[in-house]
Amino acid sequence: MTERIVVTGIGMVTPLGRDSESSWAGVLQGRNGVGPIRRFDPTGFPVRFAAEAPVAGDGPALKAELVRLALDEALGQSKLEGAYDPARLGTCLGSEACRPPWTWLWRGDPPSEPELLALAPDAPTRQVEARTRARGPRSTVSTACTSSSQAIGEAMLRIRRGEVDAVVCGGVDALSDPLMVVGFAKLGALSTRNGAPELASRPFDVHRDGFVLGEGAGLLVLERETTAARRGAEVLAVAEGWGCSCNAWRITDSPPDGRGAADAMSMALSDAGLVPADIGYVNAHGTSTQQNDASESTAIRRVLGGVPVSSTKGMMGHLVAACGAVEAILCVLALRDGVMPGSRNLDDPDPACDLNLVRVATHVSLKHALTNAFGFGGSNGTLVFGRA
Amino acid sequence: MLVSVGYLLPGALRPTDTLRYMTDTRAGVVDGPDLGPWLRRKKDARLLPRAAQLALPAAGTAMAAFAGDPEALGLVVAVGREPPDEGEAEASLAAMCRDGALARDRLGSEGRALYPPLLPLRTLPNMVLAHLAIAHGIRGENAVFAGGEEAGRHAFEEASAMLREGRAEVVLVGAAYSAVDLASARDRLRLGLSGPPGEGAIFALLSAAMPLPPARLLGVGDLGPVAALTGLLPSA
Repeated sequence: MTERIVVTGIGMVTPLGRDSESSWAGVLQGRNGVGPIRRFDPTGFPVRFAAEAPVAGDGPALKAELVRLALDEALGQSKLEGAYDPARLGTCLGSEACRPPWTWLWRGDPPSEPELLALAPDAPTRQVEARTRARGPRSTVSTACTSSSQAIGEAMLRIRRGEVDAVVCGGVDALSDPLMVVGFAKLGALSTRNGAPELASRPFDVHRDGFVLGEGAGLLVLERETTAARRGAEVLAVAEGWGCSCNAWRITDSPPDGRGAADAMSMALSDAGLVPADIGYVNAHGTSTQQNDASESTAIRRVLGGVPVSSTKGMMGHLVAACGAVEAILCVLALRDGVMPGSRNLDDPDPACDLNLVRVATHVSLKHALTNAFGFGGSNGTLVFGRA
Repeated sequence: MLVSVGYLLPGALRPTDTLRYMTDTRAGVVDGPDLGPWLRRKKDARLLPRAAQLALPAAGTAMAAFAGDPEALGLVVAVGREPPDEGEAEASLAAMCRDGALARDRLGSEGRALYPPLLPLRTLPNMVLAHLAIAHGIRGENAVFAGGEEAGRHAFEEASAMLREGRAEVVLVGAAYSAVDLASARDRLRLGLSGPPGEGAIFALLSAAMPLPPARLLGVGDLGPVAALTGLLPSA
């Protein structure tokens, strides 16, 4: 039997808080993390709200600070530093290339060499590598909204293969940027509920009209169970399964039959050695777009039947490349505390989303939880976690 | 085991021609390519970033040798680390000008109308994978690694691991990259990178795990992650 992989550290920054516990408390309270855009003046923009993280800055500096905060928390919790031969410690983050900050357009002088390097998609991975002094495999996964989920899956595979004993993995994104807001609004992907931003992100609700751009970072420390036990690390959860697939459908849309998503969930279950009835809770991708939520519902219903499901994007919007890692951490915390998060703004469930939806945080004994992440372009990723 | 290779390299479709074109100082830029055979609809070309325009013919050539079920195929792609090219947003930015200076409030009005709606999608690193999956109906395990040469090596390692671990029976693996645009040229100068910018794509169909052959130094400009896979090219 393959040795188990355990989670020994978590760190996240979300629109609900600057660390895991404050974010988790906000999720359980169903608190709102969406509000008017403050990173720039959105006057005249088609969408004037976002789910911004409570961290100052913009562009690569903001992303670096989000990573720093999440990494400090994850490393502090896992007590990982100095515990491993650097060659046996890997890094794998999911992120996208960063746009030059809006303010650079006005300042006149061109970006410097460090600034250019900071825009690269692998800049957050290099930041984590430098801070942890890791010398094992370093990789950066860029599959849009699936990026950080896939980074965690990739980390699990590298540990299983024996390439490393531990990996710091996860992802970061920050898209509250003028060009991104205009671009995604023109695509028709964003909610335009400017009069009531707190009601804008409403996954699985019949009145949903698009997603809300968010900001955040989520990092996890994954380790081989024996090496974690040898150094006395606290185990928060078990990383049990990973599955991924392509839709091969369209660039922006999900196939109505949910086939690609269903494939990813089935593969993750198989990878974990579980059957559908073992899963006690699903943290859905649930973006609050008409197509994703209906397509994902079909897939979940087909693979997992009436399992309890919620989407935490109602509280914190869509963290894009970071959402997979942040929602994986929420599953770890759900297993730790025996509580399923609810679905904010789920006032009128869409009949097309035929799911057992969890409206408010509910205490329950959980053994296994599953989380989905699906990206523009049709990349699907599913992770399964088990109680420690 | 290496089943087939398809490639599009600066100057020509064959490595020997590439070497010949180098003496004509044409190295760095790929001719064409003709996307006709690779697109379902001609208008889909507007969705393709340059790296995807290079990837489609290269991967299509490699896939010509494949007669199995593409749905179970694995797909691993490496792409570059460049920030998105905002060149297509220039009209939008120009429309924001008031009295010779950028006025940010005009992006939401005058600039918005000219902003290309598909630009955010074109600049996502995973678009190469997305277009290949759609073109060939690939639904299996997949990944996109971003970075320089290391991304190409990671992609090949991941493809080999998929085969070794039985997660796929056949994998399409490759890299696509283009730094031949004004923004990249400007950034290369600022980064102090020597040599011309380059572009290209190499894709291979693997049916069993194998080590990555050492890269050949083609000297035809910066090929980013594509350079790592140049050892897969047939001997000249």
